[in-house]
Amino acid sequence: MRLSTLVALGLPFLLAGCGQMPGEPHSPPVPPEQVTDFATLYARNCQACHGTGGQNGPAMDLANPEFQALVDDNTLRTIISDGLPGTQMPAWAQSAGGMLTDQQISAIIGGMRRNWAKPDAFGGATPPAFEQPKGGDANHGRQVYQARCAGCHSGPKRQQLTSPVYLSLVSDQALRSIILAGRPDIGQPDWRMQTPQTSGPPLAPQDVTDVVAYLGSLRNPDVVSAAPTPMPSPRR
Amino acid sequence: MNPDERSDNPEKASTGPEAGAAREQASERDGPAAVSRRWLLLKAGIALNGLVGVAMAIPIIRYLLWPVRKDAAYNSWVSLGRTSEFPVGETRLANFRTPWTRPWDGQTDHVPCYVRREGSAQFTVFAINCAHLGCPVRWFPQSQLFMCPCHGGVYYADGSRASGPPERGLFTYPHRITGGNLEIDAGQMPTLSNTAKLTNIATPGEEEGCSCRG
Amino acid sequence: MSRMKRIYDWFEQRLQIEGPVREAVLHKVPRNTASWWYVFGSAAFTLLILQVVTGILLALVYVPSAAQAWESLNVLNHQIPLGWFLRAVHAWGSNFMVAVVFIHMAQVFLFGAYKFPRELTWTVGVFLLLLTLGMAFSGQVLRFDQDAYWGLGIGVFIMARVPLIGGQLVHLLLGGPIIAGATLSRFFTLHVFIIPGTLLFLAAVHIWMVLKLGVNEWPMPGRVVHRETYIAEYNKLAHDDGIPFVPGAFWKDLVFSGAVLAAVFVCALVLGPSGPGGQPDPSIIQTVPKPDFPFLWIYSVLSFLPPSLETPFILIAPIAMIAGLLAVPFVASEGEKSWHRRPVAVLALTTVAVAWAVFTHLGMYTPWSPHMNAWSGDPIPVRYLREATPLVRQGAVIFESKQCRNCHQIGGHGGERGPALDDIATRMTPDQMRFKVVTGGGNMPAFGKNLSPPEIEALVAFLETLHPANEPPAADAAQRAIETGGGAPPPVGGHSY
Repeated sequence: MRLSTLVALGLPFLLAGCGQMPGEPHSPPVPPEQVTDFATLYARNCQACHGTGGQNGPAMDLANPEFQALVDDNTLRTIISDGLPGTQMPAWAQSAGGMLTDQQISAIIGGMRRNWAKPDAFGGATPPAFEQPKGGDANHGRQVYQARCAGCHSGPKRQQLTSPVYLSLVSDQALRSIILAGRPDIGQPDWRMQTPQTSGPPLAPQDVTDVVAYLGSLRNPDVVSAAPTPMPSPRR
Repeated sequence: MNPDERSDNPEKASTGPEAGAAREQASERDGPAAVSRRWLLLKAGIALNGLVGVAMAIPIIRYLLWPVRKDAAYNSWVSLGRTSEFPVGETRLANFRTPWTRPWDGQTDHVPCYVRREGSAQFTVFAINCAHLGCPVRWFPQSQLFMCPCHGGVYYADGSRASGPPERGLFTYPHRITGGNLEIDAGQMPTLSNTAKLTNIATPGEEEGCSCRG
Repeated sequence: MSRMKRIYDWFEQRLQIEGPVREAVLHKVPRNTASWWYVFGSAAFTLLILQVVTGILLALVYVPSAAQAWESLNVLNHQIPLGWFLRAVHAWGSNFMVAVVFIHMAQVFLFGAYKFPRELTWTVGVFLLLLTLGMAFSGQVLRFDQDAYWGLGIGVFIMARVPLIGGQLVHLLLGGPIIAGATLSRFFTLHVFIIPGTLLFLAAVHIWMVLKLGVNEWPMPGRVVHRETYIAEYNKLAHDDGIPFVPGAFWKDLVFSGAVLAAVFVCALVLGPSGPGGQPDPSIIQTVPKPDFPFLWIYSVLSFLPPSLETPFILIAPIAMIAGLLAVPFVASEGEKSWHRRPVAVLALTTVAVAWAVFTHLGMYTPWSPHMNAWSGDPIPVRYLREATPLVRQGAVIFESKQCRNCHQIGGHGGERGPALDDIATRMTPDQMRFKVVTGGGNMPAFGKNLSPPEIEALVAFLETLHPANEPPAADAAQRAIETGGGAPPPVGGHSY
């Protein structure tokens, strides 16, 4: 018994020379503000909406190289820091009431570029500008929509695209981003409209602007009367 | 009895009947019931030590009770920064250095609070501590709620209780605006028992919930 | 050898300790008490000594200053060779000590060992338990990290509920107005001087009484304790059917203590020290404070109290519990010792043990706490979005961005404060969902002011899709009857749910 106790007592010291024990702590805890590891920051702050690995989330897929190519660093920084008005994208910068420092936002931008951006994402083609210009012809947009979009977006499942409820939750800029960059993770083509279901020439820059203007013209929050009908409590 | 006689021959003293009786007598005389000089001196000794003990205890108690002070001794007005730092209609986290500190307090004197600015001159300053058990609540501007990570206390944007175990809304600090600076009267950890309690915020949500239940 | 004997005699002549030791070592104990059930007390004492030794070693490096304590713990963890191991042994020794003390107490209770004449041994034992918990709590404070800081905050808020003198008590506890340097100094004094001093003294008294009164005999049904006859009966038992304490019973104590120490070392090596967690900086609010293992059950209980009961319970329950423990030997100082004849005692012990286990288990994953990062960190399961329309996707975004996820799980991730919503559509119609979201109720805040009508519509559109493929979503039967034109019209004023 005494021998085994001695062994038990001596074991740690014998083993300590041999290398890392499983219980040995690795590094002191880092304050949340000093975390600049992209994977950690993305997993903690972004992936709920933008999906694991930047795709298959309900919000924009960030792992799409075309999206990464369309948006420049400054725009991305503005969107992350101050949020995207008219959408659910919140402001993350501490200066705007969020929890992230400027360094952390830089780390997120850098990490997205490193992981998801590709050189020559458009295969030589030149996409329309990222920013939605003012104005735009809603009538022409409607024609383009009917000709080019309605084929897919008219089934019982997809037509909600034109529902004012949906449209009042996405900004013109968000619509434009999706039309331009597409969402390869859910089968939405980019502005070139190359999918098994669709064909034809790419949307012209003016077409994109006009389609967005058309969808924007459908957006009328007053149409939505979601005020719940007051119901007596079932428990009463 | 002669003390010499006792010490001279212990065996005899312990066996002899007369000696036994004598010892009994002696112990009776030495017992606490007997009034003798040595018992009186012992009592005097105890009394002296008791007196000195009491005299010592007073300063010791005074020393121990030192931290128990009036709220005013700990509190004072501290600045949270320019009012322009707080946008109208938003709730922002602010930090201040608590007024009553020691050099070895480290970071513990950096105290956070939430500043809600309803109008250009309308502010509410909430303590970070949940009114339930003091954990740090977090503000979520998207859902306009404060949530506590410990036991799930939730508060609305105006600090009133929304759900969970707290019995009341968030604690608030008295505030004033001096020369464009937002100042609060702070210094103590706000609890249910000190002045940080101030006003009890009505909880309309609670009453609704009650009426629903009937 | 004779030289050794001469040295021994030299000391013995002056110390005169051989007699008492021999008496203590060789005193006869009833044969049945040489049992593996009787090893917990000695193990607790062994752990106490381990804690004293490792504590002294840690104090060589630890700095009891609010500004530097956390830093010095990290130096111990990362810079001093095997400093982390000593911290780990001290932390695991503490866990084991609390556990062994509780087991010891349960065993003593079950064996009726607190009955005449061992009432005072039990009473002292209750104080030893409280002191052990005091060591565990003050030790948690000395590990001056975020958990320590906010855990102490919980203590402050409990203290502040004391009527009339709550505020003064808080000042005394903290040594000032806030948790700061003075607070740490005070808890250092408690943890290093006051509590261990008292603990060692009371442990000595406890052991002294065990030696003087004898080890409790193995309880037999029918062997009833009477105040008048017990001592004579016990002495007869120990004399007729007794064995010397050493080695008959003591070898088991030794083996068990050795095994417990070995277990502490293995845990320390494999699982490592506890913390320190994040910096004790109150301005870092991205923290989820949690007390150490021995206090998890209190943490759990506090989450279940309705607001109206909070203060009375917090103030009365601890006093009632301690008073109850102290009263045990005086309420039942005579009578049966065997658990076969003490159903109430067995039931009480079982209830307490089960309740403790349940609350501790709950405390380990805190289903009542919102998950602060769920809304931004827990993705929507991909299978829920495969068939999703744009509106449903937008509803899923709302579900995350409005922090619904912080309290509601879907796909096994998210908070557990509210019910999981994976099949919510089978339980609630869209109208009921709207109503619940807008008005809240129960433990749910009302979101009516914070969600715009389109946001609510999108959210409900998403929630409507949450049902198993083979189970249709809930529908309002009256509504359906009207829409299809068939069936009887709903009764006037009636509701279909």
